[in-house]
Amino acid sequence: MPRQLANDLADKIRVQAERSGAQEAETYLETNTTTEVRIRQGQIELVSQSAVQGLGLRVFRDRRMGFLYTTDLRDTVLTELVNRTLNLTNMATPREENKLSEYLSSSQSDLEIYDPIVAQQRPEDLVRLARAAEESAFAQDKRIQTTRDVRCVTSVYEVFFSNTYIARGTYRATSVSLSATPIATQGTQRREGTYIDRKRFLSDLARPEQIGSRAVERALARLGAGPIPSARVPVVFSAEAAGVFLQGLFPALSALNAIEQRSFLAGKIGQVIASPNVTIIDDGTMRRGLGTRYFDGEGVQTHRTVLVDRGVLRQYLHTAATARRMNATPTGNGIRSYDSLPTVGPTNFYIDAVSKTHPVTEDVVQGLYVTGLAGFGVDIVSGVYSQQVDGRWIEKGVLGKPVEGVTVAGKLDEMLLGIDAVGRDLDFRNNVVSPTIRFKELTVGGGA
Amino acid sequence: MPPDRSMSRRDFLRQGALLTGALAAGLPEALSLLHPKAAEGAIMGIGQELRDVLNEETVNRILQEALARGGDAADLFAEQRFRTSFVLDAGKIDSVTYGYPRGAGVRVVLRNQTGYAFSDELTYNSILDAARIASSIVETPGRANPIDVTRRSPASPFALVNPEPLLLETAKLDVLQRMDTAARAADPRIVSVRIEYVDEVREVLIGTSEGIYIIDRQYLTSIACTPVAQASGKRASGLATLGGRVDAEYFARVSPEDAAKAAALQAVRLLDAGPAPAGPMPVVVAPGWGGVLVHESLGHALEADGIRRGTSLLSGLQGTRIASPLVRVVDDARWPNGRGSYAMDDEGTPGQRTVAVDGGVLQSYLLDKQNGWLLAQRSTGNGRRQSYRNWPLPRMSNTYIDNGTSDPASLLNGITKGFYAAELGGGSVETTSGNFNFAVREGYWIENGRVTRPVRGAVLVGNSLETMQRIEGIGNDLKVETTRGTCGKDGQQVPVGVGQPTVRFSSIAVGGSSI
Repeated sequence: MPRQLANDLADKIRVQAERSGAQEAETYLETNTTTEVRIRQGQIELVSQSAVQGLGLRVFRDRRMGFLYTTDLRDTVLTELVNRTLNLTNMATPREENKLSEYLSSSQSDLEIYDPIVAQQRPEDLVRLARAAEESAFAQDKRIQTTRDVRCVTSVYEVFFSNTYIARGTYRATSVSLSATPIATQGTQRREGTYIDRKRFLSDLARPEQIGSRAVERALARLGAGPIPSARVPVVFSAEAAGVFLQGLFPALSALNAIEQRSFLAGKIGQVIASPNVTIIDDGTMRRGLGTRYFDGEGVQTHRTVLVDRGVLRQYLHTAATARRMNATPTGNGIRSYDSLPTVGPTNFYIDAVSKTHPVTEDVVQGLYVTGLAGFGVDIVSGVYSQQVDGRWIEKGVLGKPVEGVTVAGKLDEMLLGIDAVGRDLDFRNNVVSPTIRFKELTVGGGA
Repeated sequence: MPPDRSMSRRDFLRQGALLTGALAAGLPEALSLLHPKAAEGAIMGIGQELRDVLNEETVNRILQEALARGGDAADLFAEQRFRTSFVLDAGKIDSVTYGYPRGAGVRVVLRNQTGYAFSDELTYNSILDAARIASSIVETPGRANPIDVTRRSPASPFALVNPEPLLLETAKLDVLQRMDTAARAADPRIVSVRIEYVDEVREVLIGTSEGIYIIDRQYLTSIACTPVAQASGKRASGLATLGGRVDAEYFARVSPEDAAKAAALQAVRLLDAGPAPAGPMPVVVAPGWGGVLVHESLGHALEADGIRRGTSLLSGLQGTRIASPLVRVVDDARWPNGRGSYAMDDEGTPGQRTVAVDGGVLQSYLLDKQNGWLLAQRSTGNGRRQSYRNWPLPRMSNTYIDNGTSDPASLLNGITKGFYAAELGGGSVETTSGNFNFAVREGYWIENGRVTRPVRGAVLVGNSLETMQRIEGIGNDLKVETTRGTCGKDGQQVPVGVGQPTVRFSSIAVGGSSI
């Protein structure tokens, strides 16, 4: 859809909702063009191209909120849907906080989230990148005879925002990702490894050869893995595993969960909740960040927010509504797409790297180095943690025998307080990341 | 292009509405609660029927365009959904939402290659564009044959009289409010209750180069109630889910109050739970949602894409024993009211009951069309997709371990120290290695053949083949959980059912914190 048309449509539908009886209205129109290719054994397995255009409309009447989303942008359909949604809104409960933002961010400097080069990539360009990554994987080691596949995806999206008080806000952004999943075979054992890089700018993306070879290293490192006996030992989470852990922890820092007593961190503002090594930041303004945007899903300017400052919980993350409920400043974390309401979500959310080098694995006498985490064992209500892990056994500071089929468990509050080392290896290949971290002691549940 | 009205869905629906009126005579409250828009042709009275946009002739032309450069097969998948959702949080109706997504996707298949493109706009020209883009996968053009699709009707696995999504919003909200009240009243330690409701009416039109033209309507209701209990600094949550592919009569059979109360009492029970044990031990998994275990351990590895690529640990094992001889695994798309049930899959193949494993021997993979062709096997009606934006993948429907012969209580006999998984959470698997996990939301110690103290949640981990060999007892109390499963694969989410009777394993690694 042409940009002018999209802008006009966002305005038009908002005005229509206001004329039909909404006291306040907000439109969020999103377009997204995605191209994906998958290569396997040198052959193209998939080429997919798509163009999404969807509209989300929030309406407010007497502090009641209703929401509508659709991909059908024809006039007659929209008129009918808007009217029905206004009727539906009468069924909602009035809430004091149901109110739209009245001003949009002052203009920010260029956050560098749109790369015209990414927007220009054609499927054949992506095929070339994916093939190079796969060829490099095969070239590494003769135990790599097959891949699950190699994928390259580009996405170009644009947001057109408008509400009763803010005439218009718009931004566009790009992303490109390349991932390889080779499979290593030794005897009857097969193990896969995945390495993915994702960036806003094509020039920032790791070279395909690096992606292929790192994925191979991961697959090979798992060959011969087996369980170990149960033990209480120091456990190191590699940067990537720590990032997955942090993703699981995120909802505990949502203001809504804190208000409704659904977080083990509820009511702990100002208290020490983690070791002094731990600083947790959400920064929606980081240049070229995958979670960077000019404003969030309700038009609130993004910020850099320090949530945990050297172990002390300073604040939660907010939508406009939770900020009103807690009488706090909005943080610009109303994350959404056109088909969902804004909820508290991360922008660029990370554990900050420490400033000077500190040994993380080197001074572990016996312990577990975790490279992979899986499973739905993170309960942010009760604070109970348990996940499936893969990794390597650490013996006198050196990574040894590969381990799988075991678990790590603990209580999240004790775990955060027990983080006794944080690395410097922060790498923004995702929007939720962490450097390597070490837990003083966790329970490793041995395998059968 | 004028629609063919001879056997149109519109007529069928009108009859459906009349039938509704007649049947509802004995159910006056159901009739008065029915949405007036339900009686109109297009879904919930919005827009138009898919048939009016895409008749047989239009579909022929689009598929011919898709195969103009050659290719083995092409299909068109058009879809529109009408969704209603509510969130009731802290006793307040926080959000009320309507969603009306629609669009169409075109796929071109050449052996193992797939070209896919979709349009959010349901117009002839935009779908024709999608067909051209999808056809670009074919690098060496061949010759396309003319296409002539014929209308077929999917046979419904069960009848829904007044599908629940067609009820009035006030009736739906009434159920939620009753649940909220019941959960709060269950115990003074309940401090928070969140109830999420979403339903949908989904209309699907599929045209294939094999000559199929088929339209189907599917209804789905999902309700999740999460109470949180708090006492002396400890918190715990409970969960109840309701819904499935159900009609208005469902709430006469299933009490929303009882479900909400049970969830609240679960939260309260878990307040006092001690730490779960760590390490391998005998494990007994409760019936119903315990089927998460078979879904993860075997189900995904049976899906034909991994089999065809040789990346699944079950590749090439058809006819081989892969589990304890007690084990029969069934995937049944026709299970009554199941979230994973359908008359036809998203490639137009009828949903069926497939015995995947019998006597511990691998009998059948779960196949979609493309992987079926590549493996020289027929689709088992497991080609599913999240929406028109996605190409089909082989996916499970309702998957369960079938009934055994043991008295469930006897399965605890002889266990001196073990773990009883009363209710599971989610799970995941890596199909190359077979390493899988599933979370337990509510667990207990088994001590000297009896279920004793409650323990906090933990993940349990295992390897598919080893774990399925370790099944040493299966109860005769099969239950299929039809209200809560959503399965994610390759970025696509689809509703599924899982099930099992009580199952005993000689050993599984339990991931608690207590050694």
